[in-house]
Amino acid sequence: MAFLALDTLTKHFGSHVAVDRLTLKVEKGEFVSLLGPSGCGKTTTLQMIAGFVEPTSGGIRLEGRDLLAVKPAKRGLGIVFQSYALFPHMTVAENVSFGLEMQGVAAAERAKRVGETLDLVGLGAFAGRFPRQLSGGQQQRVALARALVIRPQILLLDEPLSNLDAKLREEMQIELRQIQRTVGTTTILVTHDQGEAMALSDRIVVMNHGRAEQIGPPHETYERPATPFVASFLGKTNLVSGATVRPERISFAAAGLAGTVRTRIFQGNHWLYQVDTADGLVTVIRQNTGEAMPGEGAAVRLAWRALPPQSSGEVSASSRTEGS
Amino acid sequence: MSRNGPVALVYHALFVTFMLAPIGVVCWVAFTPEGFLSFPTDRWSLRWFAAIARYPEFVSAFWRSLWLGALSSAIAVAVSVPAALAIARHRFPGREAFTALFMSPLMIPHIVLGIAFLRFFTQIGLGGTFTGLVLSHIVIVLPFALRLTLASAVGLDRAIEHAAVSLGASEWTVLKRITLPLVVPGLASGWALAFINSFDEVTMTVFIAAPGTETLPVRMFLYIQDNIDPLVTSVSACVIAVTVVALIAMDRAYGLERLLVGRGNHGGTHGR
Repeated sequence: MAFLALDTLTKHFGSHVAVDRLTLKVEKGEFVSLLGPSGCGKTTTLQMIAGFVEPTSGGIRLEGRDLLAVKPAKRGLGIVFQSYALFPHMTVAENVSFGLEMQGVAAAERAKRVGETLDLVGLGAFAGRFPRQLSGGQQQRVALARALVIRPQILLLDEPLSNLDAKLREEMQIELRQIQRTVGTTTILVTHDQGEAMALSDRIVVMNHGRAEQIGPPHETYERPATPFVASFLGKTNLVSGATVRPERISFAAAGLAGTVRTRIFQGNHWLYQVDTADGLVTVIRQNTGEAMPGEGAAVRLAWRALPPQSSGEVSASSRTEGS
Repeated sequence: MSRNGPVALVYHALFVTFMLAPIGVVCWVAFTPEGFLSFPTDRWSLRWFAAIARYPEFVSAFWRSLWLGALSSAIAVAVSVPAALAIARHRFPGREAFTALFMSPLMIPHIVLGIAFLRFFTQIGLGGTFTGLVLSHIVIVLPFALRLTLASAVGLDRAIEHAAVSLGASEWTVLKRITLPLVVPGLASGWALAFINSFDEVTMTVFIAAPGTETLPVRMFLYIQDNIDPLVTSVSACVIAVTVVALIAMDRAYGLERLLVGRGNHGGTHGR
């Protein structure tokens, strides 16, 4: 039996279908991302799990119990909001302590657990500060500590890193993954950033128009996208000679499709090429190995390994690839 | 830093003079030894300040105004909180109508309200009572209290309350520990503006107050109908002095801008 099971979960807002018969099983300790563009229904799904949005139909079960029958305040879920939603009139320690207070944990035990959790997120020295005195990254950690301290059955992360700048976001991704591994809490992440979803998750649910287009481990989903939408959303793709090809799988070869380099952009660890061919403009990514590369205007030939052919329609939830 | 040109400086100087001159003149005249409003005067006296002591009704009217303002503003703010939360968060039938009703005292001329309240209070036996004054002042200050309470209720991030709920807080706990503390700056601003409006009100109050329940502005208004001596200027000077002291104290304690604009103490960018 799955730890958390969403069963044909559906939400209509008037005539708009926000989430359409979403079925998903999450194992204990698993990190699952709901990935998709804005309006794909990922946040609505999260809010239904949290209890802030009532499903139109379908069910949610946690360890076999009907979660929809439980009030949001009694679900015991830890949530990190996109805006962090820290209590601005409370110190960091008071913020983190709030959930324990609601559970009736004694003051001494509270102080101990708050201290431990703040140490876990590296904010032990900031307990007495107010949220407005912290940077965005620090506020993010407080929000994470506040959600984790109650030892939630599930940790729900709603675009937790989207307000951070790129460098900090990468650092926080690594840290978030480490923390999740340490505490082992089952985690559901909502994000529109495919890099973030791939970096953090055991499995990704790629959503579009309220439906799960594909559910699977990041590597497999990237290598074998089930639909054109998944292929294009999870990284760049080219359509050459009727096949879908990732830019990094195209190489400059002695024989192959003839083309001319239109632009060449240096990006540090790799080169980004746009090549004019008979099949149209092809994007090519080559690792920067220090070797000389073709310049703009050079005549080149392209060879590639295509992604496996896609099934024409969407995948049903039952045909998804189960994670390890 | 942008600097003002000479034209702007002259304009600003004229504007500030236009605002402050009447107050300055009143205070100046208050120090005249003459028995009439003489201005300019080159002789100084505290005669008219001493005269206030002979008119205890001015002093009692001042205290009455203070209590009336404090009480009616407090009740107006208390009524505003549930109204503002409902209007800010829910879409319900009659929402617009409710908002318009609460705001309507701003639109109705106070003289009309005065006549209406006079008739109504006489009918129900509240004519000339302090209770009547409080009730009528609640009505006229409610728009000010509601506007600022509403502003802080609208600015509240719902996710903060959701976070509290997810951590196990009951609805009552969320209201007590999260929502109310976060709208308190709005409530304080609303109360302050409501108080100022209540303290100031004369057009409506002159119909409702009776001898024994006169507010300070009404007392002064009635006095200058029958007298031409500078007593009202010395009373005015005292009120101005009290106001200035109160404003400085509030600015030191809380920040005037924050109080009157209704900014929270957790805006993030507004560090003091």
